[in-house]
Amino acid sequence: MLEFVFLAPFLAGIIAFFIPRNLGRPLLVIIGAIHLLLSILIWIRRPVSMFPEYFAVTPEGLLSLLVISLLFFLISIYTTGYLKASNIKSEHIFTGSMLLFLSTMTLVTLSDHIMVMWIAIEATTLASAPLIYTHRTSASLEATWKYVLICSVGIAMALLGSVLITVAMDVGKVDASISFSSLTAVAKSLDPMWLKAGFVFILVGYGTKMGLAPMHTWLPDAHSEAPSPASALLSGVLLNCAYLGIFKTNNIMVAAGLGDFSGTILMVFGIISILAAATFILKQTEYKRMLAYSSIENMGIIAFGTGVGGLAAYGAILCLIHHSLIKSSLFLTSGNILLGYGSRLIKGTGNLVNRMPKTFVAFFAGFAGISGFPPFGIFIGELLIILGTFRAGHYVGVGIFILSLCVIFAGFANQVLKISFDDTDATIPLPEKAVMVWPQYALLLTSLVLCFWLPGTLYQTIMNAVTSVGGGF
Amino acid sequence: MNNPVDIILSFVLLSCLFSFGSSRLPGLIKVLAFQGVVVSIVPLFIDHHMSGGGILFTMVTLTIRGIVIPLCIYLAIKKVAIHREVEPIVGYHASLLAGLGLIVAAMFVSRNFDVPDSTSVLLLPSAITVLVAGMFLLMARRNAIAMVLGYIMMENGIYLVGTTFSAHARHIVEFGILLDVLAGVMIMAIILQNIRRTFDDVDTALLRTLKE
Repeated sequence: MLEFVFLAPFLAGIIAFFIPRNLGRPLLVIIGAIHLLLSILIWIRRPVSMFPEYFAVTPEGLLSLLVISLLFFLISIYTTGYLKASNIKSEHIFTGSMLLFLSTMTLVTLSDHIMVMWIAIEATTLASAPLIYTHRTSASLEATWKYVLICSVGIAMALLGSVLITVAMDVGKVDASISFSSLTAVAKSLDPMWLKAGFVFILVGYGTKMGLAPMHTWLPDAHSEAPSPASALLSGVLLNCAYLGIFKTNNIMVAAGLGDFSGTILMVFGIISILAAATFILKQTEYKRMLAYSSIENMGIIAFGTGVGGLAAYGAILCLIHHSLIKSSLFLTSGNILLGYGSRLIKGTGNLVNRMPKTFVAFFAGFAGISGFPPFGIFIGELLIILGTFRAGHYVGVGIFILSLCVIFAGFANQVLKISFDDTDATIPLPEKAVMVWPQYALLLTSLVLCFWLPGTLYQTIMNAVTSVGGGF
Repeated sequence: MNNPVDIILSFVLLSCLFSFGSSRLPGLIKVLAFQGVVVSIVPLFIDHHMSGGGILFTMVTLTIRGIVIPLCIYLAIKKVAIHREVEPIVGYHASLLAGLGLIVAAMFVSRNFDVPDSTSVLLLPSAITVLVAGMFLLMARRNAIAMVLGYIMMENGIYLVGTTFSAHARHIVEFGILLDVLAGVMIMAIILQNIRRTFDDVDTALLRTLKE
């Protein structure tokens, strides 16, 4: 039953390549609903896999799986409207790739074996490349080329890192299966030198995919050129999947007593990413690129929090969940703006509040959420990270962190206000379809509700995920 | 130097230097094919008690690395870019010098690592050399096909590390690397076709519209 959750979208994806477009759209929604149901079932029943060496249900995997399911279901509803409104030539490739993408990402969340994890993350790159090239323009071609090349090189680094970890087992004379859970159990007897080298390569490799600076250069291009539902998936869940690989490797490092080493590197990469985002967000001229840089910032925050550990690690997981919810809603909203105004440039928009009032509500609420305003969850996550960093005594780090957040907020607010309130020549309201607004509302509402009322089982799962890195209160 | 593995590995090092000096795409592809073959046979000489399945797997790897992939790339570029230069960003002589420096540096670095009961002193240095040489080609050549070849060379380096050091998980590692190369090259080839159709060239200098 565990395997069914990634096999179903895989099969449906292959079928989607061959069926006419009026069947492809409902198929997307149906598979989204089935996937969500299965994920909830897995959450409740916690089944054991038929291949326990390769797949396992872990708390961090479960969290990501549920987020993926929920996001995909809502995005698939939005996509039906988006596909009707926009003019995509080879729609069957788009729907097929979306489903394959879902399948590979599900595989990432469930894999426990180092190599299976790596294969799954590699597969996400391959499945998502056609999505970025959907519009068939030369700019989207360039973005796809950059994405595939940079991510392939990155993933090759991660492969080397995984190989080095198996070398660490051989040198340390350890005999265990190379799954994350069994490696964490025997971490103490692994050879520290090779393990450190392995971690660095895995961090650089999966960090490329996660969008950590300075390996982030593909991310703004890919996210801005892909159609909005695909951008929402790329930003909302693909980055989480890559993070999962880093998180699990970090667990091995902490169990091996090398937590300081890995934590410091994670913090450094986190700070660099936040700084890079702060530099580039200030003078962005395209709104989708601006959102992409905000993703880099949030990934930096999450890496930083994980590196600090303790309270901050709990905050990082909260940020991870809420970033997915809010950022994917923002990308979907940016799709509405693009369809309405027909321009990617911030200059080409304006007066959103009067021309697209429903979209404006989603856009502005998403902006408030992503910049860390209460009552959205990122506020709590960032607050916990800051408290945890103070508690751990990294005063310089937390100083840079807070300062960069302020700069990013200022830059972001400037652009959002331009889009929302600037005067335009035309004032006629643009059409807005309900199916392309409600999914965003649902995502934002989920974030809002989770901020005030965290169900007991969810809280327990987050705690289980972070106890391995010394997280919690 | 009487160990057969060392002799094979010195060929690998030589192929890296050759690749730095080759200016034409067909030459570079031939060097890569040669390197693919040489790298694939290394496990045969290291593992003295190899099973029949292991030998078969090595042969499959050899065929794919040494014949199938180079041939595919050769056929793919035959129409447009056959006599094209690789459009270096770093010149050939500077590249060669960098290559020599790289080999020395790799020797120096690899002394710090505790190698698991290895039979060859050249193993880790040549793995590092091939890996970094691949990255160098990726960065120092503007031609998209030369970049793909650099990527394949990088994978060769990882293959050397994976199959020779980790006795533990050899087959799954080999499988993973093979998958990576095949899938990566395939998707890159598709994009290359599209780049060629759109721009009528494979020079990545044309891909410069998206930047800050």
